[in-house]
Amino acid sequence: MKNNIRVERAIKDITQGDLAEKVGVSRQTINTIESNKYVPSTVLALKIARVFGKPLEEIFMLEDGD
Amino acid sequence: MKPHFLFPYWCRYLGWGLVIAHVPMSIIGRANGMINPLDNPPTQSLFTGEHLFFICTSLVMALGLFIVAFSREKIEDEQIWHLRLDSLRWAIYINYLVLIASLIFIYDTAHILELNLWVPLIFFIIRFRWAIFRLNRSLSKEG
Repeated sequence: MKNNIRVERAIKDITQGDLAEKVGVSRQTINTIESNKYVPSTVLALKIARVFGKPLEEIFMLEDGD
Repeated sequence: MKPHFLFPYWCRYLGWGLVIAHVPMSIIGRANGMINPLDNPPTQSLFTGEHLFFICTSLVMALGLFIVAFSREKIEDEQIWHLRLDSLRWAIYINYLVLIASLIFIYDTAHILELNLWVPLIFFIIRFRWAIFRLNRSLSKEG
């Protein structure tokens, strides 16, 4: 699964730390999600999408191998 | 994330304190001629000198390791929980490998029990701390 959190963060002009604080996780977790090393739970993915005010599918996308 | 039962963050210091405290206890006890009951056939009564010595050493250490292993991280999020479960899985694998190997190759069952008291906890702590170290290192690399 890939995501465009980095792009969305840039649009909203917030840091990894800000996003982490808003969704209640550590900065490390946001970093590993952005670099596709960790797949978040549905609850966390929905929380992240809510911060950006967009539907889940616009932030997270399935890849061919998924 | 649903709350899971873990000891508070400060308990890890208490746990390390217990692990460290067992070393002088063990040295003093042995200097005074105490023998671990696992080194000797069990005596008939509880709370004899040797039994108390056993409690003060092996059990204090095991309790300390247990508290260290199951203390909350500063930020306990789902990724930390994932690493925790993964490390626990590896600790169980290693523990059973050691257990099976020792059951086959060692006749001394009392020491196998003692080994089982701390192998899974030590391995879990090492694996978990290493996973967190790697996580933090990847963060500092990317800035």
